[in-house]
Amino acid sequence: MVPILGRILILMALLSASAGALVGFATGMRPNAAGWKWARRLAYAFAAFMVLANLTMEYALLTHDFSVSYVAHVGSRQVPTWVSIVSLWSSLEGSILFWGLVMGVYVAVATWRNADKHPEYMPYAVGVWLACGAFFSFLLAGPAQPFATVPNPAMDGPGPNPLLQNHYLMVIHPPFLYSGYVGMTIPFGLACAALLVGRLGNDFIRPLRNFLLFSWIFLTCAIVLGGWWAYEVLGWGGYWAWDPVENASFLPWLTATAALHSALLVERKGVLKGWTTILVLATYLLTILGTFMTRSGVFNSVHSFTQSAIGPTILVFLAGALLFALVLLALRVDRLGTEGRLETGPSRDVMFLVQNLLFVLFTFTVLLGTVFPLVVEAFRGVQMSVGRPYFDRMSVPVGVALLFVMGVGPALPWGRATAQQMRAALLPPLLSAALLAVAGLLFGVRNPWTLLALFFGGFTAQVTLSEMFLPVRQRMRSHGEGFVEAFRQAQVRGRRRFGAYVVHAGAILAIVSVAVSSTMGSSKEVQLNQGESSTLGPYTLTFVNAEQLKEPHRESVLARVDISKNGRSLGALYPRMSQYENQREPIGSPAVRSSLTEDLYLSIHNIDSASVGLLVLINPMVSWIWIATAIMALGGLVALVPSLRGAAATAPAPVPPAPVAIEGSR
Amino acid sequence: MATALTSRPEPARPSRINAKVVVAGLAITLPLLAVLVANLGRDPHSVRSPLIGRPAPSFSLVPVGGGAPVALEKLRGKPVVINFWATWCVPCFEEHAALTAAARGLPDVQFFGIVYEDEEARTQEFLRQRPSAYPSLFDPEGKAAIAYGVFGVPETYFIDGNGRIVDKYVGPMTRSIIAGLVARAKEGAR
Repeated sequence: MVPILGRILILMALLSASAGALVGFATGMRPNAAGWKWARRLAYAFAAFMVLANLTMEYALLTHDFSVSYVAHVGSRQVPTWVSIVSLWSSLEGSILFWGLVMGVYVAVATWRNADKHPEYMPYAVGVWLACGAFFSFLLAGPAQPFATVPNPAMDGPGPNPLLQNHYLMVIHPPFLYSGYVGMTIPFGLACAALLVGRLGNDFIRPLRNFLLFSWIFLTCAIVLGGWWAYEVLGWGGYWAWDPVENASFLPWLTATAALHSALLVERKGVLKGWTTILVLATYLLTILGTFMTRSGVFNSVHSFTQSAIGPTILVFLAGALLFALVLLALRVDRLGTEGRLETGPSRDVMFLVQNLLFVLFTFTVLLGTVFPLVVEAFRGVQMSVGRPYFDRMSVPVGVALLFVMGVGPALPWGRATAQQMRAALLPPLLSAALLAVAGLLFGVRNPWTLLALFFGGFTAQVTLSEMFLPVRQRMRSHGEGFVEAFRQAQVRGRRRFGAYVVHAGAILAIVSVAVSSTMGSSKEVQLNQGESSTLGPYTLTFVNAEQLKEPHRESVLARVDISKNGRSLGALYPRMSQYENQREPIGSPAVRSSLTEDLYLSIHNIDSASVGLLVLINPMVSWIWIATAIMALGGLVALVPSLRGAAATAPAPVPPAPVAIEGSR
Repeated sequence: MATALTSRPEPARPSRINAKVVVAGLAITLPLLAVLVANLGRDPHSVRSPLIGRPAPSFSLVPVGGGAPVALEKLRGKPVVINFWATWCVPCFEEHAALTAAARGLPDVQFFGIVYEDEEARTQEFLRQRPSAYPSLFDPEGKAAIAYGVFGVPETYFIDGNGRIVDKYVGPMTRSIIAGLVARAKEGAR
């Protein structure tokens, strides 16, 4: 019964999406009120059927209905209820179903918010969204069917991948990732609509930018949550491994970040319209490429023996979307034209360009490293992997260069800077730059790249903070307001600008923390008998005993390790090894003692009642990566909020402090 | 699509094709798509082991349930399929029927199971319920598994008549996969 209901709902979603895509394109070509009304209705219908299909699956998961193929695949009576709920996105078919849910909600919200705006663009946009929606419904109807009927259902199932049951981060990481990934469909549709119409007006860049920023916030969080999860769960002591799965999420983030910046130039100066459109299109295409790369569920490993047939289907869609984007760009990108002029001298304008080029360079570097093993295997039949050395060697200089541009760009004025302006802008921040670099030297930093990151980090931090509070200071001076009032007023008038600088502050912190944590850590592998101790840096670790712990879905062995730092006791850490029901391999869970300065990280290699093999790491500044991400997300939200509240009512751009002619270049 | 555009206030520019976009776009996307298509047929489970092309490590193991030890060297001249399995492994259970059918259909190929990390009594019980067409050998200390670099079960090694490992497959196999890899093992002997 439930499988049939699920299949019907999927088919209805497919039907609504396909019909809506046709109606949308037809209405775009011949604008008419009835067509637009039907396109909207079909978009809402698609969303509703996707929501219902997901609710049906949740119902099946919670009632352990093993006649539903997906439940038979990932369900289990032994797991806690929350695991049953999140099993929706723990494996391939369910994750595509969840993708459909997120997409339905996005399409419905984007349609609803723009129901009476941008009449010439919106039907095309809805058409593109629903065409994408039709593809994912098709996946669910055929190649990745979650609602197939199991003829002789078993009494119990294997449960989801134990790695996913191991940590609460697994509950929040995938929804964030999908909200970021799938959300890129909306700007893609809007950009396609702009190309189809042949115009990208200043009013239309705003919804495009807002949806891009909204998805970007989620994607930023998702990438770091994934790293955090790996750090807390996988036990190798790091948070980023340049794994294809990680790169798959990082690639669209890079192009989206570039697009957010170039969109600002579109809005301000009327330039780079075609370029911005290309970046938005590329972002979406990279999410599809990422989906293809991780086609067997987000967490594929040697031991997940599920073969899936959706690879070719996604590849056909990717090729189709690429072709569509390419033809559209080739025919229409020239029509978008430019209204203004970009300065070529030393200026903020040029730094925007440099920033964009660095991000695109970064994208190609990561893409090449990700795809290269496939190239080698296709031509030479040798399996290989492009390891960390390549990515680290390539990304460190680009990251440091980005840090530099993030400082110099905002320091310089728009237009063309005179020599005097440049001196005034660039010399003072050298103070913080020198301070931070010297502080690094005193703390023992010797790696030249880390020192450079600290130097530029200090430079950029001073520029960012001074730009962040420049409007406040100006108000205090010119209006004679107190700090609080001036801050409030500056917020009302320039919240987007403020938010952007908060994001920058987070980004500086993130880059510096990554540089420090990846070069300043120390590690050691020890084998300890009961009662034995070992030291690493200021820490002394004593293996007290091994404890057994029985839970309904797993049995664990915990190593009790007493920790003391410089002779002062810090309590005990309990890294564990868990054996899950229905799974053959035990799964290790590290124990991490986090502080603002450094993390002590313990991971079990082997354990029995008398001895334990431990990997011990000291990772400095890792906590700051998570904090930095929260700051970036918060900054993004701050920048987004005013535009969510009746964007049309407020001024198009915040009043900038420097003598800048807004849109004066037209 | 272009018909509706003429009514807009936009100055009607001739719709020409931007050659730069086409060239750059194709230069990036075509190789990418080609690589992805070329890798589509690739099976990540057909893992390349450093042992491929090398002589198969020899072993001499007693069959489950007792009997004379079986030594790999005595089997030269015939392709050999060695399947590492265990009773606690669900995918092994899934491929059991395919392996048994393949062994019956290919009398010129010697099939072996090697039991990985399991108890002999449970293995006997398993084989009593699901008779197999070929012997399974007991590897009490896991020496054969270590020699072959077994990562998990099921893993299957295909050895040609000269005693060289031709291929290794990770994960449950179907009859067609077995047939394809056996054909390569037969070719390898020539």
